[in-house]
Amino acid sequence: MLLQAIVNGILFGAVYATIGIGFSLVWGVMGIINLAHGSFIMVGAYLSYTFFSKFGIDPFLSIPVVMLILFGIGYLIQKFLINRVVRGSVFITLTFTFGLQILIANICLLIWSADFHSIKLSYSGVGIEVGGIVIPMVRLVIFIVALVLTGLYYLFMRRTKTGVAISATALNFEGAKTVGINVNHIYAITFGISAALAGAAGALISPIMSFNPFLGGPLIGKAFIIAILGGLGSTIGALAGGMVLGLVETVGTVFLPSAYQELLGFVVLVLVLVFRPQGLLGKRFY
Amino acid sequence: MNRKTIILGILFLVFIAIPFFISGFWIRLITYTLMFAILSSSLNIISGFTGYAAFGNMVYFGIGAYSTAVLMNKAGFSYIPALLGAIIIVLIVSILLGILLLRLKGHYFALGSLGAAEAVKYIIDNLTDLTGGGQGITLPMLKGNPAIVNMFFYFFMFFLLICILIVAWRLSQNRLGYAFKAIRANEEAAGVMGIDTTRYKIIAWSLSALFTGITGSVYAYWFSYIDPPTVFDVMWVVKMFVMILIGGAGTVFGPVIGAFILETISELVWSKFIFLHLGILGTLIIIIVMFMPAGLINLVTTGRGFRNIFKKKKEREKAHE
Repeated sequence: MLLQAIVNGILFGAVYATIGIGFSLVWGVMGIINLAHGSFIMVGAYLSYTFFSKFGIDPFLSIPVVMLILFGIGYLIQKFLINRVVRGSVFITLTFTFGLQILIANICLLIWSADFHSIKLSYSGVGIEVGGIVIPMVRLVIFIVALVLTGLYYLFMRRTKTGVAISATALNFEGAKTVGINVNHIYAITFGISAALAGAAGALISPIMSFNPFLGGPLIGKAFIIAILGGLGSTIGALAGGMVLGLVETVGTVFLPSAYQELLGFVVLVLVLVFRPQGLLGKRFY
Repeated sequence: MNRKTIILGILFLVFIAIPFFISGFWIRLITYTLMFAILSSSLNIISGFTGYAAFGNMVYFGIGAYSTAVLMNKAGFSYIPALLGAIIIVLIVSILLGILLLRLKGHYFALGSLGAAEAVKYIIDNLTDLTGGGQGITLPMLKGNPAIVNMFFYFFMFFLLICILIVAWRLSQNRLGYAFKAIRANEEAAGVMGIDTTRYKIIAWSLSALFTGITGSVYAYWFSYIDPPTVFDVMWVVKMFVMILIGGAGTVFGPVIGAFILETISELVWSKFIFLHLGILGTLIIIIVMFMPAGLINLVTTGRGFRNIFKKKKEREKAHE
């Protein structure tokens, strides 16, 4: 029971990591808590659902397309909307992105209705049994894809010119401008990447969770917790944060009534903020 | 007697007289708007004056509402003692949360307060024996002629609004208020100047919590049914922030003006386009934040009236030429 919970926690933790990386990237680079991040996850899930139900494409295969679409949406939103308010106070950016979140939720509502949707895969019942622990096939694939995405993101940030330019802008806005980085363009790319990762996370959860347009709110709560646990902008931190949240939720429910699952995450959030605001791994940014 | 006093006097008389001339539906609608005016004015004390984005302020609304409900239902209190009990509980919680969270700054405080609010929500949701859990809790109704009951809550909210406005007005002039503004402008410098920043921040948050909690208590008695998703709704805080932004942060009357504008728009949109309600609200928020981040009241106070906005625009255009 406990071992099974630990395995489930780690498997789902990788998806949490994908959510957290994108969220903490925008926060770290631009100083914006993007409350619309949850709704990008929803859009990703809906796109993956549409590809599956209309064209029969497996959700894992449609991930690149979903990511590309979300990148485009994110890039345009940042370029034409958020870049105008990015230097505003916490107050302004939080309110702004909340407005964005309910607008996107409403658009999803108009396109896909308020009903719950989910994807039924032909292999969703298949599982591997190892020493009494069942590892469902779908969750294993989700775990692997999420890890691959995390790895690719890490390489992108370290090895490509754009990735380094993003880090530079995060570290010193004025300095980055001085050395000729087009900051507005970098911001737009950053937001696009964040949205693409959110979209991928949405596609990943679509086979195992049912979703409706208003699930973005609860999901953003998870993103807060992961980002705070992991510290801003650290890929390894976000991975650790995602795993810890996954474990806290699944292992917690072994000992406590399942109703306390949501509570545990927020208690962890407040405790970490108060006692270790730099995150569990103790890194502020890159 | 200057012009401002006369205008305020007239408005005061209008608000006293108006419930005697309108139907119950409109009285309830205005009472609801007054409630948001109180809530956004309370949030303005910690966020507008002191500069801390308290995204979890609904925690005090919820605690105020639930303390009242539990004291009335389980301890058999009548309303006024229950309200006093709720005030004490809210103040204690706000001081404790303040000590814990007000050392955080900026985004971290925003998230910390939100996290605390969500945690309290789930705790209340899980204390099923005491609070009724997710099913909510029903309060004893105020008995009597519905018309009188409507009036009672209208004047209760109106009285609270006057109280918070007097507090905000005093804060715009006294030492305490200057300390808050100094913290907003530069917390370290304020500390160096001899302001005990931690103490003043806690005072600001408790003041905000006090009025938010009382409003929660009145709301619970008024609606006589509450459940956790409603009284801890983060959406309400965002609406308050938008009201503050429309009216002008850190001003005395800004949040009230914002509340009346936003609630009027919401009501019009809500009745006409049910499926587009959220989308329109979202678009409105985006437009407000992008084009008037300093608030409407700044347009009024920096000029001498709306006429001057256009005059000033022309002057600016001339200066550009």
